Amino acid sequence: MTPLITLAARSAWNRRFVLALVVASIALSSFLLMGIERIRQDVRENFAQAVSGTDLIVGARTGPVQLLLYSVFRIGNATNNIRWTSAQVLAQHRAVAWMVPLSLGDSHRGFPVLGTTPDYFKHFKHGDKQPLRVAQGRAFEGLYEAVLGAEVARRLNYTLGQRIVLAHGDGAIAANDHADKPFVVSGILAPTGTPVDRTLHVSLQAIEALHADWIAGARLPGMALSAEAAAQRDLTPRSVTAVLLGLKNRAAVFSVQREVAAFRDEPLLAILPGVALDELWDVVALGERGLQAMSALVAVVSLGGLMAVILAGLNERRRELAILRAVGAGPRQMLWLLALEGGLVTLAGVAIGVLACWAAVAGLSGWIQGQFGLTLQAAPPGAPEWRLIGALVAGGWLASLVPGWRAYRLSLADGLSPRL
Amino acid sequence: MPHHPSPLTAPSRRLALIGLAATLTTAAFAQPSSKPGAYTELRWDDLVPKGWDPMAGFKDKNIGALVDGDPKTMDMMARLREVWDNAPAETRLDGAAIKLPGYLVPLDESKAGITEFLLVPYFGACVHSPPPPANQIVLVVPAKPITGYQTMDTVWVSGRLRTARQGSPMGTSAYRLEAALVDRYQAPAR
Amino acid sequence: MASSIPALQVTGLRYRWPGAASDVLQIDTLSIAAGERVFLRGPSGCGKSTLLSLMAGVLLADAGSVALLGQAWSELSSARRDRRRADHLGYIFQQFNLLPYLSVLDNVRLPCRFSRHRAERTRAGDAERLLERSGLAEALWSRPASALSVGQQQRVAAVRALIGGPGLVVADEPTSALDEDLRESFMALLLDSCAEAGSALVFVSHDSRLAAHFDRQLDLPALNRAGTLAAAAETAA
Repeated sequence: MTPLITLAARSAWNRRFVLALVVASIALSSFLLMGIERIRQDVRENFAQAVSGTDLIVGARTGPVQLLLYSVFRIGNATNNIRWTSAQVLAQHRAVAWMVPLSLGDSHRGFPVLGTTPDYFKHFKHGDKQPLRVAQGRAFEGLYEAVLGAEVARRLNYTLGQRIVLAHGDGAIAANDHADKPFVVSGILAPTGTPVDRTLHVSLQAIEALHADWIAGARLPGMALSAEAAAQRDLTPRSVTAVLLGLKNRAAVFSVQREVAAFRDEPLLAILPGVALDELWDVVALGERGLQAMSALVAVVSLGGLMAVILAGLNERRRELAILRAVGAGPRQMLWLLALEGGLVTLAGVAIGVLACWAAVAGLSGWIQGQFGLTLQAAPPGAPEWRLIGALVAGGWLASLVPGWRAYRLSLADGLSPRL
Repeated sequence: MPHHPSPLTAPSRRLALIGLAATLTTAAFAQPSSKPGAYTELRWDDLVPKGWDPMAGFKDKNIGALVDGDPKTMDMMARLREVWDNAPAETRLDGAAIKLPGYLVPLDESKAGITEFLLVPYFGACVHSPPPPANQIVLVVPAKPITGYQTMDTVWVSGRLRTARQGSPMGTSAYRLEAALVDRYQAPAR
Repeated sequence: MASSIPALQVTGLRYRWPGAASDVLQIDTLSIAAGERVFLRGPSGCGKSTLLSLMAGVLLADAGSVALLGQAWSELSSARRDRRRADHLGYIFQQFNLLPYLSVLDNVRLPCRFSRHRAERTRAGDAERLLERSGLAEALWSRPASALSVGQQQRVAAVRALIGGPGLVVADEPTSALDEDLRESFMALLLDSCAEAGSALVFVSHDSRLAAHFDRQLDLPALNRAGTLAAAAETAA
């Protein structure tokens, strides 16, 4: 085959301007396919790694996926809270080892604020049962103290001791600021690659203090309480958004879940995070399939372009084929020649596409992390990616068998004297 | 999974359904093992000690007359659950090398795959129907993290079974299978 | 390198195009001895190309046999015919003989890439020696073939056809695109090289003036009985 490969390469290089377009289109479709695969895998991993070691998440009776999304990923909003008394009952349940309450709703310059207890830093784990690590400072102790996620500190350039003002809701309108009760940054967490990085953590009491003079979401004029005055009041929370539960015996999850669902005082919902995630994937899978189908179509189109370009150029190459025939190449070798050419072009296109994807991920991952909270890894291709690459190269090789076959027939018909 | 409102979810029917499901699962899973090996193939029935009746103490309560949402019903369900949470394990199986089919419920997942899961005898154990008794749940720790499995996938697990010496103080003593091998379950041709 | 096996032996040849009503070629006997140089004259359309394809084993006769160096083409499979053609046949077209994207030297060595037999018969430096003999300046040898003039290209084509000393060289109107001065030098090169390599030569052309250079002259219309039959059929119709 050596003479044929060199001939195919030299012949293709001779027609490189036309073939460059085909290479570019194959490169683009490879880039798309690889990119989508990488995003798909990394999104899954990001989500799956966000919480670990929590047996149940309990919230108001909304829906499993919704509860998971707003309690762990801070996506969407809770339609209802659960009473603090219910949370206490759960904490004292004989099967429960620990309970961590979560209170969401406030924000700071676009980042969500989480009200919780110091137990959160002890029990919340992510990834492979990795605990949260305080990189600088310490967890909150005083009332108006906040612990920042790594991303918050980095993007807003906050340091220990910084004074910040939290806002009610999304913080767009300044009137919703809790400007009279500023917080001090007491600690900054190490990066986790999860939504924790984008969150500010304060105590439950601090959330209560912030809203002591707010009724039904609006500040009452004339009822303003100073920070000190608020600190004097009873700051036991009345409700929380959700709680995380750890059980003494993991096999008891179903039983506890059933008990929570049958809770008489209040409509509650308990979910297993792993199961709820699988439900989320079922929903997302449809979109994933759509994206993958589209990329596959793009690949098919570009391979079709390859076939068309080589076929169209066959007429001009009849002379070249006749010369090769005269020099001793057989019709079968004509077939191989064109198949090799197609294969080489596809290989070049795929290689460029894969490298471009890798470079794009490596270069843009920082920006993507900041914008979307998504960690993309510029990793070498794994098994699924190699399968895609293999399918593309095989497809290109097959697509060039069609013009190869045509060349075979032409060279048979022309013999040594092509009708030019 | 879509939630079909049906008379089957009323508690009385639910109990009947569980009994039926338990029988059906043994029928469905009772296929001869195609793999030779040192593992004894078990059925879920074998995990229940002889003589323990899940419905003992409830036979005379006129289950058919129960109404969903009624406080008396909820009381009874709570008591039933308490009994089932403390269901005893078959201690003779402690240390046995067994092979068991069931449905997978993931508990812990790392980058490499699922590192811990629960095996239950019937579909939807965690959502629509009451949870199975404690001696019908197995906590499985695979030898290597497994990938490609989703909630409620059917699997074979093989390994050495461990039981709690006595009912643990929390109820739901469960069985435990460490360093288990996990395979996908193929339904026998019908 | 004289040998008693004829370079080419045609016996009882009959060929018609698929679907044609009558034969286009009918030749009872044609024999070309080893090393013999034959001029084959014939106007266009008389079946020259067909005969050349039959000689080269590209087409198979409907009846009779065509044997190159004692081996009949019809006895070989398609793949082995290709191999035999690569091993023992050199071919020169009227024009566009060279692959434009290969250098002159690579073009000359092309047959050796496809035929191990010819590669073995080529000693190192043969290509260069033959090119030098053809009068092509050394500076041009590594240039791409497209950089040469038509006359230079034809000379390189002749060298390529003769590399490795094949048993038979077929030249299909090689001088038709050349002007007079070049024609003479080309003819001299071709004939000398064939004599030196011991290759038989079949030179096809419609230009009778070139016939004088050759040992033997053949007239295809005279040789081909099918033509007379067809002509007779036409006049009768």
